[in-house]
Amino acid sequence: MIEVQNLTRRFGPFVAVNDVSFSVGRGEVVGFLGPNGAGKTTTMRMLTGYLPPTSGSVRIGGHDVVRDSMAVRRTIGYLPEAVPLYREHRIEEMLAFQGRLHGMERSAIARRTDEILERVGLAERRRSPIASLSKGMRQRVGLAVAILPDPEVLILDEPTSGLDPVQRVEVRELIGEIAKERTVLVSSHILPEVEAVAQRVVILHRGEIAADGTREELVAELGGGAAVRVEAMVQDPEEAKRLLGSLPGVTEVRDQGRLGIHHTFEVASADDLREDVGALAASRGWPLRELSWKRPSLEELFSRIALDLGDAAPAPAAAPAADAPDAPAAPKLEVSLGVSQPEPAAKPAPTDEPKRQVYNLNPFELGGQRDLGEPKDACDE
Amino acid sequence: MSGLWTIYRRELAGLFFAPLAWILLCLSLLYNAFFFLLYLKSSGGRVDAALEQTLGGAWPFWILALFLPPLITMRMISEESRSGMLEFVLTAPVSDAAVVLGKACAATTFLSLLWACVPVYGLALHVLGAPPDWGQVATGYLGAVLVSALFSAMGLTASALTGTPILAAFLAMLANVAATILPLASGAIRDIAPTTVDWLTERINVIGTFQSSFLTGALDSAHLAFFVIWTAIFLFAATRLIEARRWWG
Repeated sequence: MIEVQNLTRRFGPFVAVNDVSFSVGRGEVVGFLGPNGAGKTTTMRMLTGYLPPTSGSVRIGGHDVVRDSMAVRRTIGYLPEAVPLYREHRIEEMLAFQGRLHGMERSAIARRTDEILERVGLAERRRSPIASLSKGMRQRVGLAVAILPDPEVLILDEPTSGLDPVQRVEVRELIGEIAKERTVLVSSHILPEVEAVAQRVVILHRGEIAADGTREELVAELGGGAAVRVEAMVQDPEEAKRLLGSLPGVTEVRDQGRLGIHHTFEVASADDLREDVGALAASRGWPLRELSWKRPSLEELFSRIALDLGDAAPAPAAAPAADAPDAPAAPKLEVSLGVSQPEPAAKPAPTDEPKRQVYNLNPFELGGQRDLGEPKDACDE
Repeated sequence: MSGLWTIYRRELAGLFFAPLAWILLCLSLLYNAFFFLLYLKSSGGRVDAALEQTLGGAWPFWILALFLPPLITMRMISEESRSGMLEFVLTAPVSDAAVVLGKACAATTFLSLLWACVPVYGLALHVLGAPPDWGQVATGYLGAVLVSALFSAMGLTASALTGTPILAAFLAMLANVAATILPLASGAIRDIAPTTVDWLTERINVIGTFQSSFLTGALDSAHLAFFVIWTAIFLFAATRLIEARRWWG
């Protein structure tokens, strides 16, 4: 539906968007993510035909944005960041204006207006002047205006910026609903906003695409940095470090030093090895104080990209499957999102999860006699 | 074409939804009525002369004609480019030319409404038993509308040039004054380059063109073309400036 090829935009010597290529399939919901100034708005403006690209091409629904601008404009609904509404008009007048701009029949405008105002929850406010509406309501009116002509492609630039948390959730839910039957490109500099509605995320950084994929793919691709943090009383830190390092799947053990009588290690691995580390501690008789799993959320990855791409990407976590065939399978990383999240618009089909191997959780059963090199399938017990 | 009509209707509604248009209209009507009565008295009750002076024969008309259009058009593009409305309109399926033309028509319609008070004075006099020369009033009115269209187009060009409405208004006023004063003051600078000055004044002489044909009731196609062409030039410039805005970002 949207095909972007080698899109570049310069403002004088400043390169706002540099050689960006991606494509969005019909019905797909794609999140456009990037810190402020990453080139999201510039890219979106080029997609709508408002800004001509310096080089490269954009095709929407098969039409070239520059050559066949009118056809593209009829295909897309665009909501810029500063919601464009005439303050002196009433909601229904603004919708009628949009309908007439798109050449809709009077009866069609009336029908769609009823339908859409119902949908965005502003049916009773239809005669309110736009100047009297709250920001959240205006955002909803903006969305209503954008979807009035029933466009195939929706381009939403920061639709939740400047809203309070309640309004945010409202608008996000609305977008999720609207996105069900359309191709949507939604931008934000706030990750959960994008994650809540989009299956796929394109991360822009300094005008270039830093990453593109589903959130699982992104975590896997950019990932690393996951570790089990263990704080325990150990007799011999060196020995403990060696033992921890010998656990399958461990890429690195970092000695965080001693605090009081406790010693802290960070056991880096792509997978959650808490059970393994716990079992090891139990078998060695280390009194445990803390055992926790620190995983990088997409949020962290994103902020690393935002801060600087170069030193951000840590050495990619060794693919567990390749290095240790019998290592526990990668757990699905759930990215914690904080506030209550609506269901993503469409969940990726659940892949058949491989049987998960864990160490025996009962340290008293086999205890220290167990061979730590051999993972034991919990399901066998 | 339907886009042009939509933009026109929206702009006209936008003008009349804001208090500024009503205040300007009200004050201007009072101003016109005051001068009309004055002319009527000073001309010794000669109806045609009074109407002629109200509709372009005297300087009070030109003050309104020069300073009002910039106030009407100043926000039309510059403020919309600030508030993001321009982005909305320019990504809607309407051509840039239709946007500019719709706005220019809306501003001209507003000013035509203002000048419509003069035929109303004529009607009042007609009813009272002193019928004016309606042909002359009609051409005078048409001329006033054309003058308004020209200055609206200049105002829109200024509005497309800057993102500050007040600056746009000021620029347009300066341009209007300069364009109308130059032919009047050409005698003072004629010595510098007589042929160039003559050539220039002949081509930008708004007041002269207006007074020599429209006001006298003689419709001259060349003078009609004068206004149409200059208006078209400024509308074209405004359209191009909007396009340039896309490039600037």
